[in-house]
This record gives sequence, C-alpha cells and structure tokens, in this order.
Amino acid sequence: MRKRTLARGLAGIWWVTLFFLYVPLFVIVLFSFNSANSTAVFENFSLVWYRRLFGNEQIIDAFGHSLVLAVSSSIVALVIGCLIGYGMYRHRHRKLGWLIVLIYLPIVLPDIVFGISEMAFFVQIHAWTGLLEPGLGTMIIAHVTFQIPFVALIVYSRFVGLDPTLFEAAKDLYASPVKRVVHFMVPTIKPALISAFFLSFTLSIDDFVISFFTAGPESATLPIYIWSAIKKGVTPEINAIATLMIGAVAIAAIFSMLFNRQGRR
Amino acid sequence: MSYPGAVPTARSRAMVRETRHLLFTVTPGALWIFIFLVLPSAYLMGVAFMTNGPYGLPQMPLSLDSFERLAGVGFLGWSPGNLYTLLRSLWQTLVSTLLVVIIAYPVAYYITTCREKWRPILLLLVVVPSWTNQVIRAFGWMNLLAPGTPLSSLAESLGLVAPNMGLYPSNFAVTLGLIYNFLPFMVLPLYAAFEKLDTAQVQAAQDLYASPVRAFWHAVFPQTLPGLLAGTVLVAIPAFGMYVIPELLGGGKGMMLGNLVANQFAGSSNWPLGAAGAILMLIATFIGLFAMRRIGKRLGGGEEVVI
Repeated sequence: MRKRTLARGLAGIWWVTLFFLYVPLFVIVLFSFNSANSTAVFENFSLVWYRRLFGNEQIIDAFGHSLVLAVSSSIVALVIGCLIGYGMYRHRHRKLGWLIVLIYLPIVLPDIVFGISEMAFFVQIHAWTGLLEPGLGTMIIAHVTFQIPFVALIVYSRFVGLDPTLFEAAKDLYASPVKRVVHFMVPTIKPALISAFFLSFTLSIDDFVISFFTAGPESATLPIYIWSAIKKGVTPEINAIATLMIGAVAIAAIFSMLFNRQGRR
Repeated sequence: MSYPGAVPTARSRAMVRETRHLLFTVTPGALWIFIFLVLPSAYLMGVAFMTNGPYGLPQMPLSLDSFERLAGVGFLGWSPGNLYTLLRSLWQTLVSTLLVVIIAYPVAYYITTCREKWRPILLLLVVVPSWTNQVIRAFGWMNLLAPGTPLSSLAESLGLVAPNMGLYPSNFAVTLGLIYNFLPFMVLPLYAAFEKLDTAQVQAAQDLYASPVRAFWHAVFPQTLPGLLAGTVLVAIPAFGMYVIPELLGGGKGMMLGNLVANQFAGSSNWPLGAAGAILMLIATFIGLFAMRRIGKRLGGGEEVVI
C-alpha cells in the first residue's frame, strides 16, 4: 500500500515537473498565433506575426549572421581542435598538465568573465593597432576559443578508444604520413569529427553572452536581436521567431530519438 | 647527450621528430587559447587594479579603489548597494541549487523506475527545453509572470504580491528562472547515480525495518552522492555568474554579480570595478571547483567528479 502511494507520488512529481518545463515554451508557441499584440489574452488565430517576420530585414540579417558565425567558427575549431586532440593522444605519456589546464580553461570560465575579458582586450588592441574591430571577426575568434576544447576532447577520446596496434598497421601499410592521415586517420575518426562539428555548431548557434559582448553594431545574431527587441519592449514578432527556433529544437529532438532507437538495435 | 658536431643517433632523431610532432599538433590550439583567452583574462585582472578614468576606461596609477567600491566605499561614504548584489547572488545560488536538488531527486529516481526502453526518451524530455536559447526561455517566463497574466492575477488575489505588480520583475522570478534553467543539469548526473544504485543495500535496510526516510538516508543517499556533487558543480557555479536571467526577470532589484560586472562595461562605465567583480567571480568559481574535488576525493570510490 505504502509502495503504491510512493509510486503515485513520484509519477505526480514527474508530470508536474514536465508541465513546468514545457509551459513557458508552449505559451510562446501559442501566442505567436495570436491576432492581438498581447501575451495575456488570446484573441484569434492568425499568422500575422509570421508574415511580419519574413518581411523584417533585420531578422533575416541576424539569422544570416548566426549561420555564418556558426559554420565558419566550427570549421576553424574543427581543424585546430583535431590537431590538439591527436597531439594529446600521441603524446599522452608526456607531462602535458599545462595543456590540460589550458584546454579546460574555456570550459570552466564563467560566460560573463569570458565575454567581458575578450571584449575589453579587443577594444584595447583595437585602440592601439586598429585591428580586431568588433564585428563578425571578433565573434568568430571568441567562438572558436570556446569550441576548441570540445572538439579536442571528443577527438582525443575517440583516439583513446581505438586499438593502438591500428596505428602500427597503418604505418606499415602507408608509407607517407599524408597518406596515413587521409586513408587511415580521417576515416577512423569520422564519427568523432561529425559529432564534434555538430556540437561546435550547436554551441555557437545557442550562445548569447559571449556573442553579445564581442559583437559589433552590424553583426547581431538572432539571440542578440531577440534580446534587444525584448529590452526595447518591441515584442510582437519575438514569439514568432522563438517559435521557429523551438521548432528547430523539436526537430533535433525527434532526430536524436530516432538515432537513439537505431543505435540500440 | 648532444654536443656540437655530434652525429645524431637514431634515438635522438626520433626524439626530435616526436617533439616537432607535438609542437605541430598542439601549438596552434594552445596559442589560440593563450592569445584569445589567457591574455585577455590577465589583462582584465590588471584592469581591476587600475584607477577609473574619465569615460570609465582604466588609468594609471595602480590602486585598490575598485575593490573598495565593490565593498561599498564610494564618493558619498559607504553604501551597501554592491554588497547587497553580492549577497543576493550567493543567496539566489544557494536557494536555487537547493530547490533544484529537491526537485531533481524524485524526477531522476522516477525515470529509473520506468521501463528501460522508455528511459532515454524520458531523459530527453527533461533535457530538450534546455536546448532552446536561454534568452527565449527567460522570455517565456516573462510572458507567464507579467502583470495581468493568470498566474500574476492568482498571486494578487492571494495577496502574495501588490495589486498590478505582477510576479515579474522580482527576485522570485529570478529564482524560478534559475531553477528552470539548471534542473536538467542536476537530473542527468543524479539519474546516472540512481541507475548504478545497489538495490541490495536498500533491500537490507527494508528487511531490518528501517523507515523509508532512514532507508533513503543511509542506503540510497550515500550512493548518489557523487552524482549530487557533479550536479552541484554544474548548477551552482554557472548560477552564481548568471547574467541573462536576472537581467530579464529580475529588474533593478534582482541584479546579481554578473549584471553588476556587465553594467560596468556598458551603461555606467567603470571598467576597473567591473574587472574586480569578475575577479570575485573567478575566485568563487575556483573555490567551488576545488571544494568539489576535495569532497569528491574524500568520498573515494574512484568516482571522479566530472566537470
């Protein structure tokens, strides 16, 4: 009897928590279809905010900036992070403590400290040399900095999971190091490369704080646009963009569920 | 063992090659992080010890002015504004972490009681909301808690808030936002701990007529401690430095350290003061990480607390 009460109580807490987790998102989606400019009263179903959204050049630009930033920073981080990941593996018997500290630094540093120290530094360098003007360039630099550790750690753990004798075999089979890289290394760590790229891409698209502090006047990304619209109190279209972004997350979730199923078969 | 004119042996040549390989693979990334993160952080720390000049930019001479300002010493004598902000950050971190733990325990346990094929899906359901951008999530709560919404009206009729004030902006909204933001980070490690739980111990406790509370406290809780620690690191440290949630949900009276720091680099410019705040945040972060490591080691069991 007591056991059943416990089970019911647990299930109750679960459903309430789930409700708590999804209500704010649900409200955004609901009111994006509201004909009135209100988040308190739902008047009529309408697509007016979506129509406005696609006519708003600033939003389209912000979306473009987000994509350019995510793709370019992920590519740079993939190359640099891969090299580090392999170096860490190949030389894992050496004392590389300083390297580990360096790699964990971007992960443990609070976002706000990360963003502000880069901003202050870039502003100072810009004042001295004219380089590093705030804009997409500085944002890419900042994003690469926080993406490198994740790529390096993913690639490193993939290498650790491999049979060490594979490397000897590859050495025997392919004479030149270039061939070894092209025919052996890249194909064997391909899954790690793909997941590292997607993780970097997601981290970049999702980032707000670091982008916010390193952005220039002309390089607002989607989250920055949304932020300033909320701050200015111009919110009607925000529900609509937010709904599209939630939709993208939902699609990603469904895909991840399907992959999960496949992986276990 | 090389002196000028020595014939390089095969061994020393191999060493040179290995070192060159190490430099080739590691240098680009290490240099990148050094130039674009270590140097900026070092610069920021330097700024904290400089004087606030006109336009809020740092100036010589070196001084401890900004740390004094952080403790409340200003032109007009002592004012506790900054100290309140500090205490509020600590308090919000403490309360939200505690509440997250209280919610996450039953949720994580519930998932382990479900059928195995459902578990990954249930976990995914907990995590998916955190995949949406944090600005959007905070905006969702703004919509829910603003004056005139059903929740605010309910709170007003119960006399919890003044009429027409709404539940946001407020400290309550910030706590709620923090819990919402960090819940998944606690559920995941706790779930991992529950999944490895040795049920024989729980069974033994029950056979010896331990009350459910005692059975939990002596047989379950110690086993989940590593997960709890990992979760606490993942929740408390970022919560202490949180910027977005207090900025959107807190208003002027809900400001936390992150906002104090950020404001010094934007509107009310005072870089040295902001930098001093950032140093405080760094110290808190490293104390937190260090403490967790120590406790994690004492717990033993070879369970490394994953950062």
